[in-house]
Amino acid sequence: MVPDEQARQQELTLPLTVITKTDISRLARELESLDEFLLQASATGPKSHMSLPKTSHSLEDLSAGAGLKLTDKSDRQNLKEKLEQLRDTAPVMHFSFAAEPQPQFLQKILEWLRKEIHPNVLLQVGLMPDIAAGCVVRTTNRYFDFSLRHNLKDKRSVLFEGIRGKD
Amino acid sequence: MWALVLTLGSLLGATAAFVWLATRLGEQKPAGDSQNAITELANKESEHIFSDEFREELRNRGRLHFEKIISENAMFLQQDLRMTATQVNQFMKDQITKTLKEEFAKYEQSIADAKQLATEALNKTQVAIEQQHQILSEQLQAQVAEEKQRLVARFEENMSDIVNHYVLSAIGNQIDLSDQLEFIIGSLEANKQAIVEDIKNGA
Repeated sequence: MVPDEQARQQELTLPLTVITKTDISRLARELESLDEFLLQASATGPKSHMSLPKTSHSLEDLSAGAGLKLTDKSDRQNLKEKLEQLRDTAPVMHFSFAAEPQPQFLQKILEWLRKEIHPNVLLQVGLMPDIAAGCVVRTTNRYFDFSLRHNLKDKRSVLFEGIRGKD
Repeated sequence: MWALVLTLGSLLGATAAFVWLATRLGEQKPAGDSQNAITELANKESEHIFSDEFREELRNRGRLHFEKIISENAMFLQQDLRMTATQVNQFMKDQITKTLKEEFAKYEQSIADAKQLATEALNKTQVAIEQQHQILSEQLQAQVAEEKQRLVARFEENMSDIVNHYVLSAIGNQIDLSDQLEFIIGSLEANKQAIVEDIKNGA
């Protein structure tokens, strides 16, 4: 493997389908299952005609993005280690919405976050029905309220003017 | 009644004195002989003049005169009694009327005083009630203004929550997250630097 390829493989780009730490754990379990399957296949010998189990798009995108082959044991081990490292070190941002968000919606937000904030940022999604609209974001040490309620509080003077104007 | 008794008593006393004087004059003796003779003569003549018939006549006349006087006096007495009774009645009537008038006047005065006192008390009570009413009205107005101010302040303080609650109740189910993506991305963009710094520091 050439040094440029090694460096490229060191940078693991998470696909947009990997949103939460749970997704990373799921990929790790999928990778372990694949590893065990290939181990069993190697034990039965080359005569056996066992087809590879179908892997998820996320795992395929992840391995393709990292330039790793899932059929290669060392690549799988490398990918597994990187996933574990990511699970432990990737920054997590908590997003709370008024309703359960669709995955496509989360992916659009995640796309912006990974482009502008951090390439491996993960999300943790929660529900806050009382905010009506918008969202509440919490990072490691900060709290950002982008909800309609907070926006109304900021624009309270406009509300006062509207109410007093009608008196 | 007492006047009648006194009149009768005076008449009887005068009669008794007249009889006693006549008796005493008949008993006295002349000092000298001539005098005695004259006296005897006078006695004879007087006895001749004042004979028993004449005396009886005098007695009858006296009795009649006495009865007449008594009758007249009784009549006068009766008139006096009637007049006195009438005067007494008038006097009593006047006194009673006067007393009643005085009592009524006192009673009216007492009623007027009581009325005056009651009026003054009522006026004082009315003034006190008006003052109390004024105080209560001012206090009530102050409390209403304070409560109004408190409600307005509370409304203003919680206005965003109220509007948010209203929006949530009114169109909460119709708000689509996809429509909010631009707003959320814009908010993230506005706070991008702070988020990046916090993630770097937190990492």
